Amino acid sequence: MKFRLPSLSTLPAWFGVLVLEVLLIIVMAITQPVFFSGSNLSNIVRSSAIPIVLGIGMTYTILTAGIDLSVGSVLAFSGILLSGIIEFMPRYLAVIVTIALVTVIVGGINGTLIGRLGLNSFVVTLGTLGIFRGIAYLVTNGTTRSIDTGPLINKIGDGNIGPIPGPLFVVVILAGISIYILRSTYFGRDVYAVGGNEFAAKLAGIYTSRVKMNVYVISAFCAGLAGIMQVGRLSSAAPTAGAGLELTVVAGVLLGGTRLSGGVGSIWGTVIGLLFLQTVSNSLTIQGVSSYWQQVVTGVLLGAAVLFDRIRLELSGRAKSKEKK
Amino acid sequence: MSIKTLTAGVEMRQISKRFDAVQALADVNLELHPGEVHTIAGENGSGKSTLLKILGGVIRPDDGQIFVAGEEKEFNSVRDAMKYGVTMVSQELSLVPNLGIAENVFIGHNQSKNKLGIDWKDTDRRALEILKRLNISVDPRREVSTLPQHEQQLVEIARALSFDTRVLLLDEPTSSLAPNEVDALFKVVRQLREDGVAVVLITHRMSEMLEISDRFTVLRDGKFIGTSDRSGVNENWLIDRMVLNKPKESARRNFQSSGRKAVLEVKGLTDRAGAYSDISFEVREGEIVGLAGLAGAGRTELVETLAGVRQRSAGKVFVNGAEVGTNSRTALKSGIALVPDDRREKSTIHEMSVRDNLMLSQHKFEITHRSKKSEEKIIKSWVEKFSIKTSGPDALIKSLSGGNQQKVVIARCLQTNPKILILDEATRGVDLGAKAEIYEILRNLADKGLSILVVSSEISEIFEISDRILVMHAGELSANLDRSKTSEAEVVAAATGVK
Repeated sequence: MKFRLPSLSTLPAWFGVLVLEVLLIIVMAITQPVFFSGSNLSNIVRSSAIPIVLGIGMTYTILTAGIDLSVGSVLAFSGILLSGIIEFMPRYLAVIVTIALVTVIVGGINGTLIGRLGLNSFVVTLGTLGIFRGIAYLVTNGTTRSIDTGPLINKIGDGNIGPIPGPLFVVVILAGISIYILRSTYFGRDVYAVGGNEFAAKLAGIYTSRVKMNVYVISAFCAGLAGIMQVGRLSSAAPTAGAGLELTVVAGVLLGGTRLSGGVGSIWGTVIGLLFLQTVSNSLTIQGVSSYWQQVVTGVLLGAAVLFDRIRLELSGRAKSKEKK
Repeated sequence: MSIKTLTAGVEMRQISKRFDAVQALADVNLELHPGEVHTIAGENGSGKSTLLKILGGVIRPDDGQIFVAGEEKEFNSVRDAMKYGVTMVSQELSLVPNLGIAENVFIGHNQSKNKLGIDWKDTDRRALEILKRLNISVDPRREVSTLPQHEQQLVEIARALSFDTRVLLLDEPTSSLAPNEVDALFKVVRQLREDGVAVVLITHRMSEMLEISDRFTVLRDGKFIGTSDRSGVNENWLIDRMVLNKPKESARRNFQSSGRKAVLEVKGLTDRAGAYSDISFEVREGEIVGLAGLAGAGRTELVETLAGVRQRSAGKVFVNGAEVGTNSRTALKSGIALVPDDRREKSTIHEMSVRDNLMLSQHKFEITHRSKKSEEKIIKSWVEKFSIKTSGPDALIKSLSGGNQQKVVIARCLQTNPKILILDEATRGVDLGAKAEIYEILRNLADKGLSILVVSSEISEIFEISDRILVMHAGELSANLDRSKTSEAEVVAAATGVK
């Protein structure tokens, strides 16, 4: 037989998740017509957008063998910051200033401690997770502030730009830029190199601490942007926003084939992984399954994906050993 | 006596193992009898260590069977192996650095106990007994991390001796030992042989294996070549089997040092962590200098400092008279490029392509576009020049054989236009064909005026390639010899600290 299936080991890791996503959509479309309605599909896209924006930043940090657990808190901090300055300047300027401040402050702290001083990313971002959530509560005294968002912020977070949902627009631009950076620039190569083998990267003349610093700045930027999107979606800024979201985001990134040990992964994988998690959660809701179960399902899916990836690599290794004989 | 010892033989049949692109072992057989010292001989990369690791339960074979006393057994873990009396002392040290010596010797097994739990006094006493057999006297409570490497090696061996071992696997136990320590070790090995233990030995030193072994099994490129008793074996028998095409005695370069300017000058360099101190030497234009010494002499630490990835506490480095900065980027810019000793850990990035790996030392402003076209042109020229076997620039580096990976790393260094190329154990784990090719590449580069510093633990390699030989012992430069006026014995003496 001439025809051969592509070898398991040459397919990208996220391919399996994509297959599952398509199967899930088909099954749901047949069994629950309401799932396939335009409003529900656009709902899935809208609710996926914020996790995906955070996931894009997270992908950079995990690719360098780090992690950024502070993103959920920073999302809330960003919204609160916006609510504080929006009265004093035009809205577009308030958005720019907010994102810039979050990027500099949060990225500066995480990046300096992890990149420059070489501290453990898990510990540092667990610390900033607490700090920025705490600040959000302190400033608001625990209350939710409603914000008159105006058209710009609303469009970024919830509305439509032409026929396209605004959040989708943001995701496409951000993902497009990141795919380009990671694939085709010196910085992108450096990110993979640092995560793949830090000593080798350093020996090759890469400024590894600068690369590590930069990925936390990028992650902070994404979290700042996601904070604005959240305000646009809810027309308010709550100190509770995005609580626990970092875990969903990490799960989606890993589901998309990015390796926690660094050096392997892609933005495509992250987008598909998080889209899949949102589709699952949406499907379960439509099926009337309790939201408590959704967390269980997410956990099981993550475990299954990692296990599958491991088996895939193991099998391809053995197959090659046999082939050679 | 002795039904048990007689039937405790171990047999490995048709063992195969593959790592990514490399078939490390293909249908290899090994038969071990009680009360023999059995050497597994073979060049670097022939699969000796892999075979031992499989028997030790460290890695699992893809295929093949292992029989203990005629019954097939599963060797899925180190614990499995120990169950059948197989103990391994591996090349890489596996001690817990911040525990004491006695704790390390008995870790995880056979602790002396009293009413309160572990009886430390008795543990210390028993550890001392074993250490005495190995001819070392140290405080058994001393932290292992404070010991020099060769003593750590002995602790590792002591640990193996603390088991009730039927089969003892020693993977290069002597590589970092001084001659008197080797003698003590061999005395213990002979004792074990009398007790009916099967000892499997890997060593690169021909004289050692001929001195102590009863039987030999030869591997080449992961294949079983042959096995023989001591009586049928001499040096030529081994070399004929280990080496497929004996590398032809290449024309020695006739290097004239007079009138050549010094390209690399190292002055009083001292390691911050104390691995070496007050090192001064120079390498002239177009000269190949060999740096010999035992493992742990500080050679790797020295060259890593030159390449800017290790901190110094004193000293200066100059390239063509200009002082070199202390980080890797500035070292590269000044023209120092290093091919490090451990390819897997230090130089290749496995999950990246040949292109990314080869272009890794090319730097521009970070958000600059990398032109695929122009990079592929560069890759193509290196692939042709070094005859690198790869399916293309986008193939993952791990799909290449060790020798080809090494050529990519050398190409990466040369692409930076270095003034001095440093290679640390550049041919370790590289098959013989590629080894000869790498030597050839280095000679051609030197002929064109590149200065080269070659670090190697293989004396034959040092003599094969160098114009001048530096020797390090215990962190100091112990000799600076002209290749044509020295002998292997002189280099060995300087490396082991014999005055």
